[in-house]
Amino acid sequence: MGEGAVADEELTKEKHADELFKDFREVSITEFFRKNRAHLGYSGKVRSLTTIVHEMVTNSLDACEEAGILPDITVAIKEKGPEHYKITESDNGPGIPAAHISDVFGKMLAGTKFHRNIQLRGQQGIGISGVTLYSQMTTGKPMRIKTCTGDNKVVDIQLLIDITKNKADIIETKNYEEYWRGTTIEVEVKGVLYNLSEQGPFEYLRRTAIANPHAKITFIDPEGRKTVFDRSTNEVPKPPSEMKQHPKGLEVDDLVNMAKASKSRHVSSLLSTELSRVSGAKVKEIQELVSFDLNKNPRKLAWAEAEEIINAFKKVDFMAPPLEGLRPIGEGQIKKSVLSILNPEFETTLTRPPKVHSGGVPFQVEVAVAYGGKAGRVAGEGVKAEVMRFANRAPLLFDAGGCGITTAVNGVEWKRYGIKDFENSPITIFVNLVSVHVPYTSAGKQSVADDDEIIKEIRFALMDLGRRFQRFHSRRRRAIEQEARLNTLLKYSMELASAISKLIDRDKEQEKIAKDLEKFIREKVKFDEELLGDAESEEELTEAELEEVSEEEEDKTEI
Amino acid sequence: MKDKDVEGRLTELGKELLADVSKKKSPKMTMPQRGLNNVHFDKASSLLRLGKKTSTRSFMNVAHSKKFMQTAMIGAKCKELVSRGKTASIRELYYQLKHSIAETKENTFDDQSESDPLIVDLETMLEVMREELHLKADDKGTLIGNIIIEDSGDTIDCSKLGRSGLSVPSIVEQYKFKKVNAKYVLVIETGAMFDRLVEEKYHIKNNCIMVATKGQAARGCRRLVNRLHTELKLPAIMFTDGDPWGYYIYSVMKAGSMALAHESLRLGTPGMKFVGMTMSDIDAYGLEKVTETLKDVDKKRVSELLQYPWFQKKEWKKELDLMVNKGVRIEQQALASKSLEFVAEEYLPQKIKSGELLS
Repeated sequence: MGEGAVADEELTKEKHADELFKDFREVSITEFFRKNRAHLGYSGKVRSLTTIVHEMVTNSLDACEEAGILPDITVAIKEKGPEHYKITESDNGPGIPAAHISDVFGKMLAGTKFHRNIQLRGQQGIGISGVTLYSQMTTGKPMRIKTCTGDNKVVDIQLLIDITKNKADIIETKNYEEYWRGTTIEVEVKGVLYNLSEQGPFEYLRRTAIANPHAKITFIDPEGRKTVFDRSTNEVPKPPSEMKQHPKGLEVDDLVNMAKASKSRHVSSLLSTELSRVSGAKVKEIQELVSFDLNKNPRKLAWAEAEEIINAFKKVDFMAPPLEGLRPIGEGQIKKSVLSILNPEFETTLTRPPKVHSGGVPFQVEVAVAYGGKAGRVAGEGVKAEVMRFANRAPLLFDAGGCGITTAVNGVEWKRYGIKDFENSPITIFVNLVSVHVPYTSAGKQSVADDDEIIKEIRFALMDLGRRFQRFHSRRRRAIEQEARLNTLLKYSMELASAISKLIDRDKEQEKIAKDLEKFIREKVKFDEELLGDAESEEELTEAELEEVSEEEEDKTEI
Repeated sequence: MKDKDVEGRLTELGKELLADVSKKKSPKMTMPQRGLNNVHFDKASSLLRLGKKTSTRSFMNVAHSKKFMQTAMIGAKCKELVSRGKTASIRELYYQLKHSIAETKENTFDDQSESDPLIVDLETMLEVMREELHLKADDKGTLIGNIIIEDSGDTIDCSKLGRSGLSVPSIVEQYKFKKVNAKYVLVIETGAMFDRLVEEKYHIKNNCIMVATKGQAARGCRRLVNRLHTELKLPAIMFTDGDPWGYYIYSVMKAGSMALAHESLRLGTPGMKFVGMTMSDIDAYGLEKVTETLKDVDKKRVSELLQYPWFQKKEWKKELDLMVNKGVRIEQQALASKSLEFVAEEYLPQKIKSGELLS
């Protein structure tokens, strides 16, 4: 960022977007889309279809949660011809007020989420209007939206995007009365392909259901088969709230922009009222570190002065950012959905306390490990390990190789926890990265950047679960071993009893001796199993782990 | 030991096992360890002796369970043999006990190699001899010579058994030596050399008793030589191939074996001497052309022998070193390269007369 950006007082929303959108106005929208389709999720036939489903479902889930509604979503994909599909998605959400429909579906980068410091699934507003654009580019057909806010007035609208003006081109509008609430979207697209791969819509919806235990998702595939991922909880997550910026997450130009728009009279009051965790005492600390008087008018704050303040922020300790903006799924909820969808022999879930990345952006990591049952990914005859990546509950299906979450999972030495052949184990690793700002590697939002703090946090969380798994695993192994031991001993006990009875010249007592021996064997095996279990629970951490944990402790004190 | 005492010890074993169970303890059997770490060479007696280390076999340890059961089964069977006054060969014992375990496809014993070592366990555990358990091995070894033996009421004149001689049974305790006219006992490793010497009438011409061990000597053979040496004061002389295997057969005859170290006093003959084949014989008799090259296993065995305390005598170290240096071994029958009669008419008489014997 240079000073040029700051000089422009009337910053448009687009200018604030990712680098990718910087010169948005200069190129036509279709041109932009073609150039960037890979980044926007429209590369590859399977992926394009999944992206479309993703944009639709994400919108529905976000809308329902903001309105406090338990989502009931249906997705149907129908094959119209080779690589030609019709996708229908409907929800029971709040509906869309008629006046907003054309902006939501017919204008690029017009989303309501963009530029709010708030954790929602979609962040950049390319979303659903991209679907409209994709449909009109591949089939020339408009998107059809039927929506009703519950006031009996249904709006049934078909629209395209006027690509030169970046606004909706309404083809047809129908209004009629019907008593329902929700939104149904229908598009026809070509150049896409439905299959059951790990990147396909089915897997996308399966994972979405796991990360959204409060949602009921019904899927009807091109063969007409219906799958229902039922909700495992009736608790609607609390809608996230907007939050003040934390000083550690602020850049110089952010501060300059804030200052220009501020209604505060002094820079000092701007700092204490418009930022989070900056108290009067902290302002005094900052004053000590800067060369000018913080009592000056914010609108006269120079770039160099703002820079001094930002440098001072780095030297001052602030309380960790407030966490109201973060919306983890919660251990209990993840457990419910994992149990209902994966039905594993063993599962364990952990939601770590929030932390910050990039100096001040709050984030939180949630992990789960499921083993056995339907955990893992079916591959041919066997089952392979599966890593489910999520960012703010949205499944990340693509670019696994370049994702920080993958780096973190691979950074765990699973062998240490008794998983000898991780790749070929019936295991599902669930990782949800929760943050108001997820550092995606691209606008396609399919992979998280290799951020050290995030990777470390995920690793620690997984190591914690690894230890829990190990306890389960050794319990299980012990149970199997003791079972085998019991069977071995019982097998030989009859012959032993017979031999003893002969040695003591009491052949007739053979049965009694056998019974006594069996009773003893059963008691002893049970006793030993419990004894071993007690010994295990006192197990110490390995040295290597202790080292890592102490590193972790240090981290905590840094915030 | 009387049969009654043996029975008593077996009963005692059964009672101990039963007592363990009623005391909620794992049934256990304790016996002396028979590995190299519990066998030492006793210089005073020149015998391998068993140390004091014991090992305990526990039924509740699944690694021991089957062996434990098998040992108890053998004990029970021996008790039956003793009380019925029958003696079974160790192979018969194996077949008597072999059957499938109820409700499984598993056999109590899969091979005689499973039961044989457990018999020895039982012997050492109860401190009874195998024959006292009414068990015997197959006959192995042959004896010929001027000796009259009484066996269970029958009289055997071992000079009148033609060329085949007396087949040495596994138990020779009942033998009574009635009449002996011999100067020494010659113990021979191979059956082929024994046959050669019989044909040459070596035992008659030299007035000795000849015993063929036919490979590693069985208990019967070892006990018989021990008795001839200790009871009749006959010098014992061994004649083996010139290789580590032959030398070890000599060592077992003389000092006892690790596996049966508990029986060394009865089975070993510390006064025994060794006539050949030695490495020096190769040069002395011009046998360089009829040697065989040492194989890797032979060399490995030589280095093992060099580790044993009872091979630490100067003369034996010299032989083994010489063997390694020459890289060859020599068979008894290589002497036939001179002539068939050579071994009987020149080699043995000369060496024995001149006292060119190793200890």
